[in-house]
Amino acid sequence: MTNAGSSTTRTQARTPAQPPVFSVRNLWKVFGPKAGRVPADEKLAALSPEELRERTGCTVAVRDVSFDVRPGECFVVMGLSGSGKSTLVRCLTRLIEPTSGTIAIDGEDVCGMDKGALRSLRRHRAAMVFQHFGLLPHRSVLDNVAYGLEIQGVARAERRAKAAEMVEKVGLAGLEGRRPGQLSGGQQQRVGLARALAADPEVLLFDEPFSALDPLIRREMQDEVVRLNRDEGRTMVFITHDLGEALRVGDRIALMRAGRVVQCGTPEEIVGSPADDYVRDFVRDVPREQVLTVRRAMRPVGGLHETETGAALAPATTVADAIEAVARTGTPARVVDQGRCLGIVDFQGLLNVVAGLDGTQQEPGPEPGPEPGPETRLEKAAA
Amino acid sequence: MSTATTAATATAPRRPRLSPAARRVLLVAAAMAAVAPFAAAHWGSGMWPGALTVHLDGPLGRVNDWIIDNRDSHWLFLYFFGHISNAVVGAVRAVYVVLLALGWAGVTAGASLLAWRLAGVRAAVTALASFAVCGLLGMWVPTMRTLALMVVAVAVSVAVGALLGLAAGLSDRTFRALRPVLDTMQALPAFAYLLPVVLVFGIGVAPAVLATVVYAAPPMARLTALGLRGTDKGVLEAVTSLGTTPRQRLLTARLPLARRELLLGVNQSIMMALSMAVIASVIGADGLGDRVYQALSTVDVGAALAAGVPIVLLAITLDRTTSGLGQEGHNRTRTRATAEWATAAAATAAAAWAAHGKTWPHGLTVHIESATNRAKDWLVDHLSHGIPGIGGTADWAAHYTGWVLDPLRTALQSTPWWAAPFVVAALAWAIGTWRTALTSAVSLALIGVLGRWEPAMDTLSQVLAAVAVTLVLGIAIAVAAARSRRVERVLRPVLDVFQTMPQFVYLIPVVALFGVGRAPAAAAAVVYALPAVVRIVSQGLRQADPAALESARSLGATGGQQLRQVQFPLARAELLLAVNQAVVLVLSVVIIGGLVGGGALGYEVVFGLAQGDLATGLTAGTAIACLGLMLDRVTQPTKAPAHKEDA
Repeated sequence: MTNAGSSTTRTQARTPAQPPVFSVRNLWKVFGPKAGRVPADEKLAALSPEELRERTGCTVAVRDVSFDVRPGECFVVMGLSGSGKSTLVRCLTRLIEPTSGTIAIDGEDVCGMDKGALRSLRRHRAAMVFQHFGLLPHRSVLDNVAYGLEIQGVARAERRAKAAEMVEKVGLAGLEGRRPGQLSGGQQQRVGLARALAADPEVLLFDEPFSALDPLIRREMQDEVVRLNRDEGRTMVFITHDLGEALRVGDRIALMRAGRVVQCGTPEEIVGSPADDYVRDFVRDVPREQVLTVRRAMRPVGGLHETETGAALAPATTVADAIEAVARTGTPARVVDQGRCLGIVDFQGLLNVVAGLDGTQQEPGPEPGPEPGPETRLEKAAA
Repeated sequence: MSTATTAATATAPRRPRLSPAARRVLLVAAAMAAVAPFAAAHWGSGMWPGALTVHLDGPLGRVNDWIIDNRDSHWLFLYFFGHISNAVVGAVRAVYVVLLALGWAGVTAGASLLAWRLAGVRAAVTALASFAVCGLLGMWVPTMRTLALMVVAVAVSVAVGALLGLAAGLSDRTFRALRPVLDTMQALPAFAYLLPVVLVFGIGVAPAVLATVVYAAPPMARLTALGLRGTDKGVLEAVTSLGTTPRQRLLTARLPLARRELLLGVNQSIMMALSMAVIASVIGADGLGDRVYQALSTVDVGAALAAGVPIVLLAITLDRTTSGLGQEGHNRTRTRATAEWATAAAATAAAAWAAHGKTWPHGLTVHIESATNRAKDWLVDHLSHGIPGIGGTADWAAHYTGWVLDPLRTALQSTPWWAAPFVVAALAWAIGTWRTALTSAVSLALIGVLGRWEPAMDTLSQVLAAVAVTLVLGIAIAVAAARSRRVERVLRPVLDVFQTMPQFVYLIPVVALFGVGRAPAAAAAVVYALPAVVRIVSQGLRQADPAALESARSLGATGGQQLRQVQFPLARAELLLAVNQAVVLVLSVVIIGGLVGGGALGYEVVFGLAQGDLATGLTAGTAIACLGLMLDRVTQPTKAPAHKEDA
């Protein structure tokens, strides 16, 4: 929660011209009788889930959540099952009606939309990919992909041409005539992806899209998503319970627990500066050197001679790569940004990061600056 | 009741360890103990007391008279029922005319080609052979009459059922309201539907069609609703997320995904319609059923068989043609399908033209009536008595009646009237809910109030005895089928055929073997209910968790131990369902047994219809409905298996 605000200001500073695609404020979703009274009543809102269920029979799925999704980014919502992440993404297009709070898409209020406006939002602006695919078993691959266009009233020839293009794009060329039942899980999800892409939506919403797939296929699909995000600059909201997946595809990650966002930030922020013990526990097994960058490992420049010698590294270089460079040259390396030397990384600093000893020194976290470009980070994470 | 009391005293100190079922039984026993002295003191302990009976004969007779007097003058009949009746009669006649115009060649060719298109070559051959045999037996015209009635009844049933199902599939409230009604209608014997339509429409083709519709529409409605409600939630959500309107969701997702259920609904509607169209001969449907009915009333087994065989063949053809519908994929392209349909239609027309629209040629018929009767006489002479060691069919029938049915009937009729509802409630509550217990007790009491206690107990005794026989035989056969693949392979086609046949047909062979009376009715009921019981139980036994079975085997359990300690307990739900189905099916045939001397409630309905004494028939019909409801609810286990057993 605390970080959501700060990251927002930071991005706005970076790209002041672009308003967020999705802007969510104080969103609540409560299931149960007279759900509306829970967010409205401070006393009820403060209760623990067990007490609340006992007293009112209500369950809170999403609890006072706020965040922004910026254009072109892949925003990951991560949490264990039951943390409310799937409910949250369904609230964005009101597949589940939120109990209170506001959602805006490009500044337009989603909660206030009438049925027609909402339908048009779902048709043209936000398309969703589901964990269990949600394909129509009685239609061919091509007709499944064309389905979104069909219900928009696009003419048959046109929608089939568009669908064929999408099928090609997700690598299913040649399988147009098959039925979903004749495809593997990975292929089915490619159909789901093609169906979502066919309407050329502004935002893609993914609800644990790869959880039902084999690990190898999952990896392939994740790369596919990263490619879409990078090449087409498509904005994404990606739900997952898999931390590795979140770190691999996400530009920013919101970590949810019991309906709350406990931390929201870049993968580096989450891994490097966990907001609380829960997050710390969560990221404990992450190979830190593959996520954290040299920013966290560097120390101030000690003397002038240091600015001259050693390998030059970009600030976005991961610690793993820095270790390689430092080990190869045998001397400390410089962190250079636009010709300016920001600091020095030596064995000591790098080992501290790997050992997890850096957090205490560098609290409250890295100074704001440009995030790692997706390309560097992803290459490294995939390595 | 004494057992219950001793159980109570024995288990009283260990109250917390009492199972919920036992606690409920105790509760009912306590309630009865409170009511009994008062009831016994006031009205005695014999059969249902006259003081607590409402005589509906008078009012019902007056309603009947009023309807007869006003049928040709009152606006309700002239402008509402009259139009319905005329429309139905007109439709049946139109279909009949078309069938006649197609002639024997056209109908046979058309039916075969239709079966080929819908279900493949085997179904087509079945259809061809069936219609040819119908013609050969000299039953062409009655077959066409039955078919015409069926076509209209099925069309209306499917339309009505689909509309009701659509409403219940789309609206939760309609579903909640409709579901118990449909469940109940499915548990009632066919005979219970006849009287109300006769009361309004008189005797004839129109009421026969309408009774058939009332009987055949519920499965369609039920399956449509279930199909629409069972749409994969994930698919529905995905489709919604793409911005579909509710109408688009229905047309592009829910209906196509419910295809299997819809087609199964059509299949079931057709089979139910055939069953009822045959029974409706009692209220004036002509055709094959009427021939069987006439023949049975004179115990002319030969004539009954000649009309019964076409019914069976019709049932098999219709089932083979329509049951494969759900499985068939869209493998053929659209143009090819159209071409095949066109070919089929052209071939039918050509056959009709070639045969000049004639009914089956007289020269080509084989008369099996006298031969059958000779064979039957031989059977009666040689099998009914004095086969050394095992007696004969007549002996068996006599023994069954004398040693089983009579004592059971006496026992039931001498049970104190006030005890019966409590016993029923206790039984129902032990495996079901307080709702089923209350419904069954009230239904039973209602029979008493209607004054049909004595015949109802007679019917009940026949049902209970036949159910017991069915379950013993059925479970034995099911165990054999579950343990041996070979038995199962042999049994499956037999069960398939037996399950498709209309109830009425079963009366023919049993009359040949056992003559007339309560025993043949019981035999027909057992044969009718057996396939369902065998199928459900063997399925339950075979579905038992293989891991549990394997672990039992690894511990050294014998085959019998596995069966008793693993398979039967695991198949508890199926066993209860089998009991429920056995009760419902046996009752429906025991009632029809009134036509072959089964007596009791079934006979009263037949008598009421034959004599035009609708008051008697209607009270008996209501009592049948109550009995059906009571038996169904008593054997209905709790839906949620949440607290199956507290370990």
